[in-house]
This record gives sequence, structure tokens and C-alpha cells, in this order.
Amino acid sequence: MPDRSSPRWLASCAIAVSIASTTNADDGRDLFRTQVRSILTDRCMSCHDATTRKGGLDLSRRATALTGGKTGAAIAPKEPEASLLLDRIDAGEMPPKSPLAPEQIASLRAWIAAGAPYEDEPLLAKRAGPDWWSLRPIARPGVPTVPPTARVRNPIDAFVLARLERAHLSAAPEADRATLIRRLSLDLVGLPPSPEEVDGFVNDARADAYERLVDRLLASPRYGERWARLWLDAVRFGESNGYETNTLRKTAWPYRDWTIRAFNDDLPFARFVAEQFAGDTLPDGDWLTKAATGFLVGGVHDVVGNQTVEGMRQQRVDDLDDMITATGSAFLGLTVHCARCHDHKFDPIKQEDYYGLQAMFTGVDHAERAIPAPDAERRLRERPALEAELATMDAKIDATEPLAEVGAKATRRVPVDPGRNVERFAPVLARFVRFTVASTVDGSEPCLDELEVFTAGDAPKDVALASTGSRAKASSLYPDNASHAIEHVNDGRFGNARSWISREPGKGWIELELPTAQTIDRVVWGRDREGKYRDRLAANYTIEVATEPGSWHLVASSEDRAAPGVKPVTTDPERAKLLARREELRAKLVTMSGTMNVYAGTFRTPGPTHLLNRGDPMQPGPEVVPSGIRTLTPPLVLARDASESDRRQALARWIADPANPLPPRVMVNRLWHGHFGRGIVATPGDFGFNGDRPSHPELLDWLARSFLENGGRLKPIHRLIVTSATYRQSSRLDDKAMAVDRDNRLLWRMSPRRLEAEAIRDAMLSSSGKLDLHMGGPGYSLWEENGNYVYVYIPRVDLGPDANRRMIYQFKPRSQPDPTFGAFDCPDAALVAPRRTSSTTALQALNLLNSRFVLAQSAAMADRLKYEAGDEAAAQVRRGFLLILGREPSEGETTAAVALVREHGAAAMARALYNANEFVYVR
Amino acid sequence: MSVRDSSLFGLQLLDRRRFLANLAGGLGGIALGSLVAADSTSNPLAPRSPHFPPRAKRVLQIFCSGAVSQLDTWDYKPELIKRHGQPMPSAEKVITFQGEQGNLSKSPWEFRPRGQSGKMTSDLLPKLGECADDLCFIHSLTSKTNTHGPGEMFLNTGFTLEGFPSVGSWVSYALGTENADLPAYVAIPDPRGVPQQGPANWANGFLPAVYQGTAFNADKPISHLQRPKEIGETSDRAAKDFLRVLNDEHLKHNPGDTDLAARIASYELAAKMQLSAPEASDLSGESTATKRLYGLDDPNPILAGFGRNCLLARRLLERGVRFVTLFNGAFAMGEGALNWDGHRQIKSDYDRHGPILDTPAAALMKDLKARGLLDDTLVLWTTEFGRMPTFQKGANGRDHNPKGFTAWMAGAGVKRGFSFGATDEFGHKAVENVVDVHDFHATVLHLLGLDHEKLTFYNNGAQRRLTDVHGKVIREVLA
Repeated sequence: MPDRSSPRWLASCAIAVSIASTTNADDGRDLFRTQVRSILTDRCMSCHDATTRKGGLDLSRRATALTGGKTGAAIAPKEPEASLLLDRIDAGEMPPKSPLAPEQIASLRAWIAAGAPYEDEPLLAKRAGPDWWSLRPIARPGVPTVPPTARVRNPIDAFVLARLERAHLSAAPEADRATLIRRLSLDLVGLPPSPEEVDGFVNDARADAYERLVDRLLASPRYGERWARLWLDAVRFGESNGYETNTLRKTAWPYRDWTIRAFNDDLPFARFVAEQFAGDTLPDGDWLTKAATGFLVGGVHDVVGNQTVEGMRQQRVDDLDDMITATGSAFLGLTVHCARCHDHKFDPIKQEDYYGLQAMFTGVDHAERAIPAPDAERRLRERPALEAELATMDAKIDATEPLAEVGAKATRRVPVDPGRNVERFAPVLARFVRFTVASTVDGSEPCLDELEVFTAGDAPKDVALASTGSRAKASSLYPDNASHAIEHVNDGRFGNARSWISREPGKGWIELELPTAQTIDRVVWGRDREGKYRDRLAANYTIEVATEPGSWHLVASSEDRAAPGVKPVTTDPERAKLLARREELRAKLVTMSGTMNVYAGTFRTPGPTHLLNRGDPMQPGPEVVPSGIRTLTPPLVLARDASESDRRQALARWIADPANPLPPRVMVNRLWHGHFGRGIVATPGDFGFNGDRPSHPELLDWLARSFLENGGRLKPIHRLIVTSATYRQSSRLDDKAMAVDRDNRLLWRMSPRRLEAEAIRDAMLSSSGKLDLHMGGPGYSLWEENGNYVYVYIPRVDLGPDANRRMIYQFKPRSQPDPTFGAFDCPDAALVAPRRTSSTTALQALNLLNSRFVLAQSAAMADRLKYEAGDEAAAQVRRGFLLILGREPSEGETTAAVALVREHGAAAMARALYNANEFVYVR
Repeated sequence: MSVRDSSLFGLQLLDRRRFLANLAGGLGGIALGSLVAADSTSNPLAPRSPHFPPRAKRVLQIFCSGAVSQLDTWDYKPELIKRHGQPMPSAEKVITFQGEQGNLSKSPWEFRPRGQSGKMTSDLLPKLGECADDLCFIHSLTSKTNTHGPGEMFLNTGFTLEGFPSVGSWVSYALGTENADLPAYVAIPDPRGVPQQGPANWANGFLPAVYQGTAFNADKPISHLQRPKEIGETSDRAAKDFLRVLNDEHLKHNPGDTDLAARIASYELAAKMQLSAPEASDLSGESTATKRLYGLDDPNPILAGFGRNCLLARRLLERGVRFVTLFNGAFAMGEGALNWDGHRQIKSDYDRHGPILDTPAAALMKDLKARGLLDDTLVLWTTEFGRMPTFQKGANGRDHNPKGFTAWMAGAGVKRGFSFGATDEFGHKAVENVVDVHDFHATVLHLLGLDHEKLTFYNNGAQRRLTDVHGKVIREVLA
């Protein structure tokens, strides 16, 4: 009961009375309609509706409001002073953070005084409940009947036409065949059709010419290369760690290859899910199946060591949050991550659900995992022979090296090499060997991956090896990096990951102490004998030996080597042959182990998972069990001690369960989004309250049903979509339709779209004839190699021929967009990107006009035109238009283009065509 | 809010056509309604009015990468000098980013009073110290991370996670630009290289790419700005003329298609930029006195390079660029070598970095003031977090400290010669008027006439803001 002596209570009571006294009895309803309803829905019901029922209170119906919650009846009709609701509001306790305005309180009071009538029930909170459209079971909608004159090619059209009819709109006529084949090709395989393909289709008189084209494109391996991109965006796949170091993940590419294969093979959905969550546990998978868990660790990961407990815990929960976010958005279309700090404000996802999902991933770590190489047997068989040949080759080459000359006037020796350097000198007795770096080629801290010291005589032996009892010490060590310990310099293992780096820029020394004095005549050293790194290489150095500590004697130095960067000139043809052969052998050896490391995560026994208050890792709350989202069907709750692999497998089964209504809707909507530029739900990663509502809900369910009935395969759905009359419409504008439905949500035409970055680049290469269709394997990189603690992204000047592969094979570090095509709204892979923005900027124009890439393709096109069309300008123009735009030029265009080609060459024309709106848009 | 009734300008970007339909449907006037000028529907960079009258029209942000020590620059702590060499009194062992702490260590640089205000600043940055009467110090800033990457992201995007739009992107999304011939938002990397998080510092995140910062500096122009050498001027012009024929023809066949018209306009804008950007970057017309003031004649090439960048920044601001971020310090190439990350040898590290920042940045401040630009330009000096009052165990440098550090503002709408907030007696933790990065951002937006709670864009389930669900305008610093 309110404290009636309280002046505040008296004051608010007075207002209420004054309102009540000036209104009649009916006004309770008016008040509800005009004021009370919005107060309840906006300010009370996010905690007190039928589902949330905080404190047991449900204000969505009059009856439940009267019953009240744990502390008793909330509303006593006609008795404001006896109503707990007002009591709590007056006390400033409710709503918890920002109190109601006095006039709002007065309205509530007057409404209760008038009997607290509800005009309509139940009230709906401004949020989604468990009966939210996307959480309901997938319906079996009947196909609408449309007039027999309507152009219906399959049920999709009936749904779309029925909706258009309601809006008194009609569909556009079918597009012409040249438009259709360009649209279909770019849509299904991401490449434009060749002039011959256009010609063939336009003149194909068979009744099923269109369907044949669709089937051919869907069967093409190019299909997977196009559609994998959409999925990789949606799951934030990137090939670097992000954050400060943004170091590379050179072994993440198998997940990209897996995705391409999964689309090409049209993996059934259950399998598609199972492989990504738990491919490592499947008995019948191959190496790529095992790499599919790259999905789990596809996101950012802060690798910077942090000594504080808060810091370490935060990094870990951020890793897990990334997995939860990707899973929620890509598979469920839910923004689960919003429940990290509190219950989801708009969707029925509890904080407990979030941490239940976190428990699913809590045994997953960001790391490489060794998986059997696809050709392991052959690799292992061939490796020993290769190693032996390489050793022989080294010895032969060493024998041709001139002796180092101390105090030399001339530079007779080759420049320092990042891979392997040999120092030969007259036999000398040594117990101590010192290698001192005075400067490096780039000023950074020097690196040596191995320092070998060979005995003189017929059977030279590396006596520097720790295994022979030698010990190494150094001037200093690179901080906080296990890869660059001093022990690595004489461990017999090569490469950057087993190397020493000093901590002084440009300087440092290593000293070896052999167990006994030995007669030696050769020292071999390198920066990275695996040949990947060229930085940190010693430029000026000395090599000294001693029999007693301190009595140093110089045996070799850099002074008689040619300057770094001077290309080694080998006058001896025999030596040149040996050197070339050694390079081949080295490159091959890198790929010769039985397993390969793949960035696909490692797994460990999970510990307990706690709900974190306010998402703060320093504020653990109650323990939670591994679970799905509890309002979703079917239920998924595991025992707290469920094994690590059980968790991931159970999660995968839950996602793929046909009873789970979200994933099928989400998947077919993704396809629709890909084909029309906008999904039936325009927010492909968010089917919750904040997301878009479906424009054609029955159609969405009909497609989701078809998806399930087709075994969860995508290609039948693609086929349905692209063979529909809806898809085959032209993009013509219609003023009447524009006035009613300017954004074409009802599909009265095909919306024209700007091509995505990948399609623009690939289309240029394909038309210029330079496209390299080599599939799979490590991607081509736009960036120079370097071994700095943070990766320094310097564009490679010479890209090499593999850069003419499709852009999906471009190595994709985060936050480092392609310097030419990144400006075309390429997601940076830091966050999930269920859809791309499409903006038009001046920088895009500059990139397409002036980049080396576009110039190179224009030049290649000019060559192609000369070859295919001869020297005649008119013929070149015609062929150029066919290759780039897929059509013949008009008369006016021919005149202008011929003049351009005659004056400035065909490359000038190609450059313009590559910049044309018609080229970068698909209609 | 659902996506259907979200901010109008956001909707327009999500889908311009739907936006117009909504406008026609009478949904106008909510949220960012005031940001939508009639002509902004076709040009996403058209100038737009803010939510309320602004104090500042444009922003210059100086960002020092690597975490500048507040204790060796702006935050004078007599007690630290007094207790030099003693252990820091603390209830428990203090563990910071790299581990254990040694003793309290006073700054190797003397502090002395500057200007009329008598503000105590150190001899590390004497020339900037001379500007103290124009600066508004915030000594009680806090961050929620002690790691460079997330710290840089937090300061420059409002989130410690990667992938969110930078402050400059938000501002150009909100306000467009007053000079269409230049990029709305320019990031000027240091002569030594890009900052630690590289382009993520000026990324558009989930905002459309048109709001991304354009990176160039005095020595490295906008990439692809000029026609390549291989292409002669007449050939270039002829190809572009032909392109116009093609695009006009195409537009004729597809009347009413605004996207095509917008793309044609983007080529016209690119052509203007080809003239305007080199003009803005050409420092040759500046007087000898100005060049000397900025240190362009300094024998240290890095200082001279940063001086050129500062001069470029002024020229861009003069020409109406909305947001300029000037980076000082680069990525981590060995601790403290290329930036302010002075873990081991703070004396020798900062002796190298101090003058590079000091001369050119102080020149820029004085020059902006002399030209009246400070009246409507907001200047921010920022770094990702501060450093410890102790030296690290076994080292002569300071570890990371997000618990209390200094930033300053100057110019349009902020108090002059003013200090707000304070750290404890040693400069370790903020204890008085504690504020965080969200508050800092809310204040910057406020000065630009923007309500940080209303500047939103839908992404992945939420109407995203620069300030997440936090932020409070620091009213005390407003003039």
C-alpha cells in the first residue's frame, strides 16, 4: 500500500483527480487508446509481456495484469491508490532506468480510476516473442490461383503475380535473350558469356534452350566459385588475424576451397552444416572435409600477448563471441550476439542462451591443425630422395664458391642471399665461432634461421648442431616470440618459424662454442632457407673463430661480396644449372610432408561455462550448460560435462534439424538475395524484430519447403528461381509501378544491379582472354612478404601470372582491400557481411580508369582484337563490343569507336568499355 | 526500431528506392529526418544540416600511434617526482600488459609553466606547450583495453572489435562534405608508415564505401589519381569522350535510372578531383616562413615529412574537407622504434619521436589560429591509451595504462587554456571527473551539432551508433 502521508503521493493523486474529474466514465477507453497503450508497450512490456513475465507479471492482458505477479495484483480497477503498479512507479522503481513523465503517470492513474479497461488484447511489446514469424514452423502454403492468362512458369510466379495483382501492378515482359544470357551467366557463374555463347543461345530454337543453359551453368565448376563468395562474406572468412599485428594465415585457404566444392557438389544441408562444425569427427570425410572447421575460426583473433587477467579473458571471450555471431547470423538469421551483455532487447533470446551457445564452442581454439595431406603417401615416398639430392646439390654448389678473402679489394663473391650463403676459407682450428651483424638490408633486427659450421676433409660434418654438443648464445633475443629463440640457430631445422632474431635494429651477434676444437673450412648461414622471407638479411657481417675465449681471428666477411640487390651473375654455366636445379628442389621440398597444417582450429576438453554479468569476463555469474536457443524448436540442452565433439555435433544436428524453422528460410532467402539483389527478407542475417519483414512470406515458406523436400540441396532452388517468369522479366521502368512500389519489392521488373568487385575483375580478365581458371590451393597475394611482428602491407609490384586467377582465389587479409577493386564495397572480413552495400564513388572511377590492372587488361584486349579481328578498326570495334558488352555496337557507337581506335588504338576503346555503365551493371 | 522505421538517411543508403517510397508514404520527420536535404537523395556526400546548430564545421584529429605517455607530456605529477624510485603503493601487485612493474619513475623531462594559464607541460614537447592557452586538456580519459590494436580501434571507431566505422566515416555519413572536389574524409599516414591497425583506422565498416577515409599524404598522392604515364593526354581525353557517348546512349535506353546518372556524376567528380587534389597537395606556393615554421627545412627527413603532412592538413581544412586525421607514428617495427610504444627505453625513444611531433604540430596549431580556422575547426589530439607511472621491471620504459590518460581538444566550441578531470597523485588512474572514449566521441559529435544517440545506421540486428549504447557529452569542456 502506498504511504498516504507521502506528499509526493498526494501531489500525483491530485493530478489524477483533476483529470478524472473532468472526464466521463467512457474515457478509460479513450485514455487507453490515446496514451496508456503506448506507455505499456513502450515502457513496461519489454520486461512484462507474456513471454518475459519478469517478477511473474504479464501486462499484455487485463486479466493477467489484475492477477499480477509475485508481489501481488498489479492493478486494482477503480482503485489507483491500491494498485501496486502505480505504487512502484511512484516510488521511482519502475521503469528501472528512466522514470515516466508526470503526465504519463497521471494518465495511468486516471485510466485505473476509470476501471482500467483494455481496448484490445493481447498487447504486443515492441519486440519479438516466441511466436515471431520466423520462429513459427515452416508452413505448407497453397499456391495461389491466378488468371489463366497470367505468365506462370512455376509456382514462384503464382505467388509473385498474386501479390502484384493485389497492388494492381503487372509484371514486366520477358527480357530478350541476349540480356537473359548475360544476366544468367553473371548470376550463376559470375562471368559474362562469350560472344559465341550469346550467339548460340540467341539462335537456339529448341523449346528448352533456356533450361539447357541453366543446367549447363549450374553444372559448371565456375558456379561454386561465384556462390562461395556470398557464403564467405556471410561467415566473415579472412586470411589474417586482424588487429594490430594482422599477421597472415597462410593455411586458411582450404576452407575457401571446401566452400567452393560444397557449392559445386551441392552438399545436402545437413552435411553442409555437419562438416563446418565438426568435419574433424566425420568418419567418411577427406582432407577438405577436415578443413571445413575453418568456419569456426574464420574470424579475427587477437594474437598479441597480454599479461593481465582481464586482458587474457577478454581476448578469449571475444574469440568465442565471433564464433557465436557467425553461427547466429549465417545459419539462424539471428543476432544472437546482442544477448551477450543482457537478454536480447528485441528477440526472444536470453543471455542464458548466449552462454549456452558459448559452451558449445568453449573447447575450440584458434590454431592450425595438422591434417593428412591429400597426397601424403606420395609426398613421404618422394621426400628422402629429394633431401638427398638437395644435400648433394648444396655440396656441389659450395665447392664452386670462391674462398672468402679477408681484406679483399675486389668483390668477387655473390651478394648475400636470403636463402643460403656459403663462406669458404682455408682450414682453421676453432672451438669458438662468432657471427656478427653490423647492418641489415632493411635496418630491421637481423634474423638467422641456421648457422652451420663444417669440418674440413672428405666427410664434412656440421659441428654447430646442438645435437653434437655445441652451444649457442646471442647478443639479444627478439621479445615475446617463441619462433625466434637462440636454440633455433643450431637445431638443424630451417625456416622463419625456427630462427633467431636479435632485438637491436640492424645489429646482433651469435657465438657458438663447440665441445672440442675442430678443423673447419666452411660456414653456411641463411635468413630463411624455406625461401619465403627476404627481410632482416644481414648485409654487413663478420665471421671470426677462436681456440681460446677472446682470441678472435677473422675468417670471412661481407666485404668481398657484391652489394645486396645486385643480381648474382653466374658466368659458369655449370654452376648456373646447379643453382637452378637447387631452387626447384627447395620449392618442392616445402610441400613434401605427410600432413599439412590447416587453419581449422584445435579442440580441447571444455571447462565450465559461466554466464557473464554485463558480458564482463571478470564478473562470472551462474554456470550454464551447453544449449541452443530455448525458444527455438527443437529443444537442445546438453549435459554440463558433454564432450567437446558431442557439443559441436549436437549443435550441427540442431541447426540441420528439419523442425528448426530458421535455417531453411535463411538459406533460400540467401539465394533469392543473390539472384534479385535483395532477399524476400532484405536483411539476410537478421530474421528478428529489427530485421526486415518478408515481402512474400508464403513464397519464402514454399521455397523453404522445396529446399527440405530436395534434401536440403541448393541447386534445385536456384533452378526454380531462375527458370521462373519472375526472374526472366526485363528491367524496364514503369511509371505507375514506380509511384506505388519504387523499390520493386513486389517484383514488377528485374532490378538492375552493379556488379560486385569480384565479378567486375573476373569479367575483365575473361573478356581480355587472360583469365586463369586454375582452381584451388593457396591464393595469389597482392602483398610483399615480410616477417615483421606486425605485418606491413606493401603492394607487390610484379604480381605474376597467377594474379589472373578468379578473385575468389585472391589472398584475403582483413582490412586490406584490393587497391583497385576493394573500393567496390568489398567487405573487410572483420564482421559478418550478410549483404554488401553498393555505393558509387569518384575513387571507383579513378581506379577503373587509371589502375595498372585495367590498363593491362585493356592492352591484352587490344592484342586479342588484333589477333581475332585483324587490323581493320571497324572489325576490332565490333569484336570488342561483343567481348566486353555482349552485343553489337550501334551505328553511332561504331562511328565514335572507330575514330577512337584509329587515333589511339584498341586499348583506348577497351579502357572506355571497361568503364561503361553497361559493363558494370547487369540488367 | 525495426529496419522499416529506422533513420531515414540510413534507409536511403540501405536502399534509395525504398527510402523515397517511405518519404512519399509520410514517414518523414523521425530520427535523422533533419539530415535529409531534398537533394541529398542522389548524392550521398551532399552537405547536410546537423541535428542542431553546430559549433564546429570540421575536425582535425591528430592521432599518435603507440600510446603516448601522459606522464612525460601533459599530466604533471609532483608526487611522482617526489617518490621517484620508490615502489608504487598498492593493495595488490600491479600486473600490466607486459607483466610486472618496477618502481615509480619521474619523467626524464622537466615540466614548466606555459603561457598565461601557467599550465605545466614537459620539455619533451616545448612548442606544443606554448599553445597551452588554446588547449582544453582532458586528463581523466579511460579506455577499456590495454592492447594497441583494440585500443586504436576503440579510439577511432568506438568499438574494440574490428569492423566498425571510423569517427570520420560517421561524420561524413552525417554531414556530407562542403567541397565535392576533394574527399570528404582524409587520412594522412605518417612518413614512417601506416598506424598499427592500418586502414581499419579510417574504414567505413558497415557504412557504404563512399564514407571511407581516403588515405594520402604530402609525399604519396591518392592512388590512381592521375592517368598513367603510358596514356597520353589526348588519348585519355578521347577515351573519356567515348565513354561519355557510351553512357549517354545507355542512359537514353534506360530512362529514369538514377543509379546510372549517379555513376556518370562520379566520373565528373573524379575529373574534378584530379585537379583539386594536386592543387591542395602542392606546397610550393607556401611562403618560406611558413615552410620553416612547419619544419620543412629540418635535416631530419621524418620531421620534415610530418611537417609537410601538417601543412597538407591545413590546406585540406581550408578547402572544406570535413574530417582530417593526421597520424603521427607508424606500426610496431620493434617496440618504440617507429611509434610511441616506449616500453624499454622511453628516454631515447621519445627523444626521437618528440621533436617530430612537436615542431610541425605546434606550427599547425599556430597557423590554424592565425588564419581564423580555429574558430570553426575542432582539433583533437589523441592516442590509444596512456602509460604507467612506474617503469617496467628490468626496463627503462613504461607499460600500457588504459586507466587514466590525456587527450586534448582545441578550437571551435571548446574552452581555452582549460584542464578537465584528473588522475591520482602518480598519474596512474583517473579519479576526478572520470570519462571514457564514448564520452569523448559524444562530445565531438555534439560540437558538430550531432546527437550521438540519433546518429544511427542499421547493421546486423541493431541501429548502430558511434557510441554503442554509452556516451555522455562532457559539458564542462564546452565553451
